[in-house]
Amino acid sequence: MFLLCFMKSDYLPILLQVLVAIGFACSALLVSLLLGKATRRNATKDTAYECGMIADEGPQPRFSVKFYLVAMLFILFDLEIVFMYPWAVIYKDAILEYGASIFWSMFSFVGILTLGYVYAVKKGALDWKS
Amino acid sequence: MFPPITLEILVLALGFILLLAESFSQSTSKRSLAKSAVFCLAWIFALSFFVTSAPANPEPGSFWNFYSADPVSMVFKRIALLTTMAVLVMALEYEKVLAKNIPSAREGAGTGEFFILPLFTCSGLMLLASAVDLVMAFAALELVTISFYVMVAYMRGSHASLEAGVKYLILGALSTGFFVYGITWIFGLTGETHFTKIALKLASLQGSDTAILFALVLVLVGLGFKVAAVPFQSWVPDVYQGAPTPVTAFLSVGSKAAGFLLLLRVLEPFLGVASIAHKILLVLSVLAGATLIFGNLAALPQNNLKRLLAYSSVGHAGYLLMAVACVGVAPSALGSVGATVGFYLFAYLLMTLLSFLVLTIATQHTKGEEIQHFNGLSKRSPFLAFALLVAMSSLAGVPLTAGFYGKFLVFAQAVNASQWTLIALGTVTVGAGFYFYLRVVAAMYWAEPADASPIQVSGLSKMIIVLLVAGIFVFGVNPKPVLSAFQTQQTPLASAH
Repeated sequence: MFLLCFMKSDYLPILLQVLVAIGFACSALLVSLLLGKATRRNATKDTAYECGMIADEGPQPRFSVKFYLVAMLFILFDLEIVFMYPWAVIYKDAILEYGASIFWSMFSFVGILTLGYVYAVKKGALDWKS
Repeated sequence: MFPPITLEILVLALGFILLLAESFSQSTSKRSLAKSAVFCLAWIFALSFFVTSAPANPEPGSFWNFYSADPVSMVFKRIALLTTMAVLVMALEYEKVLAKNIPSAREGAGTGEFFILPLFTCSGLMLLASAVDLVMAFAALELVTISFYVMVAYMRGSHASLEAGVKYLILGALSTGFFVYGITWIFGLTGETHFTKIALKLASLQGSDTAILFALVLVLVGLGFKVAAVPFQSWVPDVYQGAPTPVTAFLSVGSKAAGFLLLLRVLEPFLGVASIAHKILLVLSVLAGATLIFGNLAALPQNNLKRLLAYSSVGHAGYLLMAVACVGVAPSALGSVGATVGFYLFAYLLMTLLSFLVLTIATQHTKGEEIQHFNGLSKRSPFLAFALLVAMSSLAGVPLTAGFYGKFLVFAQAVNASQWTLIALGTVTVGAGFYFYLRVVAAMYWAEPADASPIQVSGLSKMIIVLLVAGIFVFGVNPKPVLSAFQTQQTPLASAH
């Protein structure tokens, strides 16, 4: 029973933080409504931040689809590294406990990714000019 | 003799080899890819009869804690292999439509993967059939779903296909979220991911009924999306209509089979908790009733054959859920429900693949998927019209077809479980089914064709169609081989014991 109470009180700071976040958001909206006279509008007021350069094109410029392709491939191979780090750190201990299977698991994983890499290169996914 | 996991590894390896072959080859025709895939899958199918069985008591920490190879999962694996072969043959027929809808500089570029991606789905289905651990089941289910995401949106020149892809991706990801959240709740409650161990822990948990129900409902929502149960069916019509036809066929068969297999596996530990078992059955009955009504009544006004088959897929999910809702609390009842669901899925697979195969071939000549485009098909190709007649009769449940026997088994289960409301609903919706399925038949046989040029069918497709028609009749008259395959002492439900 004591343990249960202890665990519940552990979550109190999180609850407080949620309350503060909600309170801040609400009060910010309320204060800007009251002080900023939000109902009064004019052209200057409707520009972004009421300062800076006047925008002369749309807010979302068009990107070449190649960016997305490269970004996706980057994430794939980045995750591979993230996965390999902890594996490399515990490798020495783990190989004593589990034997060679821990090596072959990673080997097959990297092997599949290598096939994917070869496929991506052959398909011209990294070929910027075409 | 070799371990059963070899089959999945072979299918995956075949996929990788074909992907590399596709990327290295200069040939513009990709038909040889599909043909070699079908050929190799046939060999893997033959090999599946020569695998060793799983050890009875796997040692802790070994691979067998995630993977079982009981007879029922082997049957599911073989079905997955056969389905993939049929889908690949369908994809061959669909090649021209595909090439037209994929804008590319080079002829045939970008169509090759369409014949290779089904292999990855197939390996996912095979792994799922053997999964006895939630983590393994989830990984396999994702392998199935993610390859479907790509295949549904494959025709990037077609707005309908892209729309279907986006809808399927967003709703599929949402349902996956529910499913994973459910798994974390189950893990939080029991500290286990293996089905048998979950069952043991759940049975001994006291006073956390609400939490257990919440976990199960989350899982049910996730799987409800996969099997297209109401109220999680909203993605079905648009995705089925927009996706390339072979993918629609694979989706309606594969996604549903995977969902129901997993549903039965996940339900089992929960039904062991006596205090909530009746609540679970009530939830399932409500789902089944709603799915039956919506699927069959919404199909009535449909004029597009693909959309009609989509609603019919929802309707059939209703009959399957009806069987699942008849799971008694006694463990002995689980076995027969597993066999009923297995047989129904098998019959559904035969008739769905047959209708989509005919649809794929016929629509290239009729220039449309509306029912009116099938007017007078019997004069243009008596063979195709007869095949579609058999498929539609079986879907409606005309006696002597496999579809009839499947429905018969479902209703027998419902009578045994005294689910009178569901029986009444089921009877009404079967009647509705006769109207909308046979409307297609009427159009084919009693309407005059706009264009009477005959339709040619290629040899490979002809063979598959003949086999499917034969299957529908043979297993409709003599269902015993299939039933006993699903009943061999271990059902999908009991396999976790």
